[in-house]
Amino acid sequence: MPEPREGLYGVIAEFETPGELVRAAKAAHDAGWRRMDCYTPYPVEEAAEAIGFHTNKVPLLTLVGGIMGLVAMFSLETWVSTLAYPLNIGGRPTYSWPAFIIPTYEWTILFAGLSAAFGMIALNGLPSLYHPLFNAPNFRSGALDDKFFLCLEALDPKFDVAETKAYLESFKPNSVVEVEY
Amino acid sequence: MTHAPHAKTLPADLSAPAFVNTWRARALMVAVLFSVTAVVLAIAEKSWDHFFRAWIVGLMLTFGFTCGGMALLMVQHVSGGKWGLLLRRPLEAMSRCLPLVFAYWVVLAAMVKSLYQWAAFPTEELAKAAVVAGKLPEAAVHAIVWKAPMLNVQAFWGSGILCFAIWGFYTWRLNSLSLQRDADKQGNTPIWIKRMENLSGFGLVVYALTMTAMVIYWVMSLDVTWSSSVYGLLFLVGQGYQTLALSLITVISLSKAEPFKTVLRTTEQHDLGKFTFAFVMLNIYLAFSQFLIIWSGNQPEEIHWYMNRFNGGWAIIITLDFLFHWLIPFSLLLSRDIKRNKKRLIRVAQWMIFAKAFDLFWLVEPNFNDAARNLHFSLGILEYIAVPVAMVSLWVAFYCTQLKSRPLVATNDPHLAEILEPEHAHA
Repeated sequence: MPEPREGLYGVIAEFETPGELVRAAKAAHDAGWRRMDCYTPYPVEEAAEAIGFHTNKVPLLTLVGGIMGLVAMFSLETWVSTLAYPLNIGGRPTYSWPAFIIPTYEWTILFAGLSAAFGMIALNGLPSLYHPLFNAPNFRSGALDDKFFLCLEALDPKFDVAETKAYLESFKPNSVVEVEY
Repeated sequence: MTHAPHAKTLPADLSAPAFVNTWRARALMVAVLFSVTAVVLAIAEKSWDHFFRAWIVGLMLTFGFTCGGMALLMVQHVSGGKWGLLLRRPLEAMSRCLPLVFAYWVVLAAMVKSLYQWAAFPTEELAKAAVVAGKLPEAAVHAIVWKAPMLNVQAFWGSGILCFAIWGFYTWRLNSLSLQRDADKQGNTPIWIKRMENLSGFGLVVYALTMTAMVIYWVMSLDVTWSSSVYGLLFLVGQGYQTLALSLITVISLSKAEPFKTVLRTTEQHDLGKFTFAFVMLNIYLAFSQFLIIWSGNQPEEIHWYMNRFNGGWAIIITLDFLFHWLIPFSLLLSRDIKRNKKRLIRVAQWMIFAKAFDLFWLVEPNFNDAARNLHFSLGILEYIAVPVAMVSLWVAFYCTQLKSRPLVATNDPHLAEILEPEHAHA
């Protein structure tokens, strides 16, 4: 969790449609902004692409989780059937891999799904008890409903309160607000 | 909405681009080249046996594209969706290749006595004599007698012609109604949607039943003793697999020029990639369940079918089949980037069609006495390359002609406006 800070977190602009948000975000990214983020009430993949989010780590986590599930279940079945508790089932060899496939498959899916869900939550920085954006009044009323937000953060070297506000105003948003920590 | 001004407009000319003619010319050249090769191979081998075995592979591939295309066309009429609008005209073009497939089938039907044991030895006396001569396993005699009411030459011809007539009827209705729908005024669109839905919903049930009957006749009955209740479904899903691969190749290749340059968005390409991925998964699911059930049962009536396909060198082929048919397309299609990349997705789709042909080789060849549990090379094995390539190439030429015969985009559809919007404007 980040250290508590004093001062300004950034400047946030509210847009009416995802199209406007994506165009503004893309222009800001092209102009050299990097400490920035988009906030939307539902996933807008193009907004993520516009601020340079080409890849994320969720697919990798899913793959690793899936492989873990696969290896874990297949080894468990092999160990149980050949070493721990070998049974004669219809005269088949104790190492009967075709019979192991279905539980192995189920565990692969289960581990991959859980890794994707929990990995996504962890990569999003959740659970989180505090976020400065909730200090912005327009954000509180619109972010979960039907408004689209672009925040340029104070940590970016290009940041200057007056210039950044003027820059965001140039995209004709509904409103531009300073965000305090 | 403020994004409306960013919408694209559909080009005035919706006909197929000129390069489809080049495709057709190339396909015809390949067809001629491989037909000659196939005939030369048969003469060199001094036997036409493998030529007609490979003919079954070619027939199943082209039948899969044609009637699989018709089935997918009916699915998109029932389900709706932007992917369906995108594929509608290419799928209609595939379904109109039915006369060519019928011609291929007539050749098979004429050769029925040299390919199928039940046709070569139709009575108990003949079958017993064949067992003595070593041409037939003993278990086949009972199966031939028991299954004679279904597996006889008259029933083969009769049911085949009936099924082709039914498929022809649906092809005709789906294609002619689609043109009438585009000519009609926009206000009637909801009526047309319902009408196509009603035709297609029932049609899908009819198709699933008729195609199951036909794959039993054409492929499963090559081994007269064996049966599997999932067989029809396995081929139905296989048709979805190959038809979606061909659809991807078609729309991505067409997108080099108008009108598909305008209508093919990355979103729908991605959706089609995901749909294809689902079929890759369903295909292995059914194939593996069939294997697992028969392997677990370990019954002498069934297990020999797999023994014929695992032992005597065939293990190499089934391992490769597993890699080609499932593992490679599955691993590649997992990737979001590959599904959104035109060049790479087209490579995966081409690979999938090759893999389907490879799978059919494994299904067909071990049915015959000389090849069961005995994978061996002869010139005849090369027929499995020459004949299907020639048949599919001729089919592709036919398909290109059909693509050219109509506008490539269906216009009387509510999804058309959506497909012309920029991709991030789904608010």
